[in-house]
Amino acid sequence: MSSPTPAWLMEPEAGLSPCEPVGKRRKAGFTEKTLGGLSNLMRWAVFSDDVAQEPGLLQRLDPRTKIITLLGLLLVAAFVTHVQVLIVMYAGTLVLAAASRLSLPFFIKRVWLFIPLFTLVIVLPATFSFVTPGHIVVPLWSWNGHPVGLTAQGLYGAALIACRVAVSVSLVVLVTLSTRWMDLLAGLRAFRMPSILILIVGMAYRYLFLLQDAVADMYTARRARSAGSGGGASREGRRFVAASAGALFGKASTLSEEVHQAMVARGYSGDPRTLHALHLGALDGLFALGTALAAVVVIGGDRLLGR
Amino acid sequence: MADEPVFEGEDLRFSYLERFLALDGVSLRASVGERVAILGANGSGKSTLLKILDGLIFPDSGTFRAFGQVVTEDLLEDEGFAKGFRSRVGFVFQNSDAQVFSPTVREEVAFGPLQMGWEREDVLCRIGDVLAMLDIADLADRAPYQLSGGEKKRVAIASVLVMNPEVLLFDEPTAALDPRTQQWLVELIGELGRMGKTIVMATHDLGVLELIADRCLVFSEEHRVVATGPPGEILAARDLLLAVNLTHGHCHEHDELTHAHEHDIRHHEEYES
Repeated sequence: MSSPTPAWLMEPEAGLSPCEPVGKRRKAGFTEKTLGGLSNLMRWAVFSDDVAQEPGLLQRLDPRTKIITLLGLLLVAAFVTHVQVLIVMYAGTLVLAAASRLSLPFFIKRVWLFIPLFTLVIVLPATFSFVTPGHIVVPLWSWNGHPVGLTAQGLYGAALIACRVAVSVSLVVLVTLSTRWMDLLAGLRAFRMPSILILIVGMAYRYLFLLQDAVADMYTARRARSAGSGGGASREGRRFVAASAGALFGKASTLSEEVHQAMVARGYSGDPRTLHALHLGALDGLFALGTALAAVVVIGGDRLLGR
Repeated sequence: MADEPVFEGEDLRFSYLERFLALDGVSLRASVGERVAILGANGSGKSTLLKILDGLIFPDSGTFRAFGQVVTEDLLEDEGFAKGFRSRVGFVFQNSDAQVFSPTVREEVAFGPLQMGWEREDVLCRIGDVLAMLDIADLADRAPYQLSGGEKKRVAIASVLVMNPEVLLFDEPTAALDPRTQQWLVELIGELGRMGKTIVMATHDLGVLELIADRCLVFSEEHRVVATGPPGEILAARDLLLAVNLTHGHCHEHDELTHAHEHDIRHHEEYES
């Protein structure tokens, strides 16, 4: 070594805290929760890939068939005006999920966790009599002698929107869970999405995991050198996020240059060519036909029930 | 044929951002079927030289010839030359994460041949062969984030070998690999050499030098070539290795004996054997 070892490094550290529990726990902060969420993303991606390789009904279909039928069914769900019909459609998605070997409790939970978050908050005001006038079924208070409450018309409208969202989310979850990410991208390519866009999205997905590892490493390194929270924890957390965002930007920039060189080294000249060759089979034709029939039945049923 | 040059570099100079010198008047020659090791400490310019040899960056001054042509940025924009050059020279990067950029192993290995305009069926056939040869056929549909460091290195090598290049450039091939993968790679480089491939590799792993190289180029920390010669000769020049930071003065204990000497990875191997 070029300089002598400092004397303090040769001696045990004086005044170390005792290595004993004191019964005080540190709560996970914003940064930790965000990183936990990112780790879940990884777990989710691995799980999705496994599910997409199960030998179920939807997994056997060409991604193009799935994308087209999904779009068709989404349109049908958007035009249906009866809750009963939407419930039938939802039941249909459950049947498809079961036929595709998806775990039903997981599938139902995944869909219905979204609904209160994104739908009920939005439709809740519409259930009140001052927004949607009608027959009050749940009186709440009166204002200037007029009763205020939830109306039957408002509640029906809210149920209609919630069911429509549930059906739509179920359809999207069905397609994304039963299709590998790259097959989905290849399917989109068949709809004249530019190949460079597909390549960029594919790479972004691939490097997301690498950069997530980099952030997790930075955070673990920081955690390993810190103890307790203290009053300035949130400020420190924000500073960490800012610093790691900067470091990550630097890493990503270097990496992108190297990736480009690795591509050029193997003959890339601006027009990427990929391996994907999609194959439409008899099952695709049958499924598309079945979906078209189901759409006709759903629209017909909705018309029959009237306005 | 044996002495026919593949690469010839003369007085190559290169600086990053016109400020950070990486090569300072480097000259080299690599002949057909030769295995050349570029030795040097971290930051001595080995990787920069490999990138120049692969036509990824271009020297600020000096001349670089490949297959008898002076390689310039302009020449590499010529479709015919670029296609011929890229299919003849394969580069295995040090950072496998940069090289393995496709969503699955199969697509990664297919990338090069597809850019060369090969037929899909031929590409699929080659992929099967090369994955089997490197013992990674079971990884074909895996995503890169599901691979270990050693597996990623194998995929990176497969993605280059699939094009059957005449010249292979390896940047720190054995760095950060476990001993078994290192051994596998050393054997593979030996096998590729016997196949008649020209191999140029940057390394500071002296332990395997005699197994993987016919000739060495030693870089100083001042970014110049200070010696060339066969591995045995270079490894015997302990003062040279000490001066270029490839070995270091060291004091340690063997059982009850404490002694001081210059030290590199081979020392323990010699002692243990």
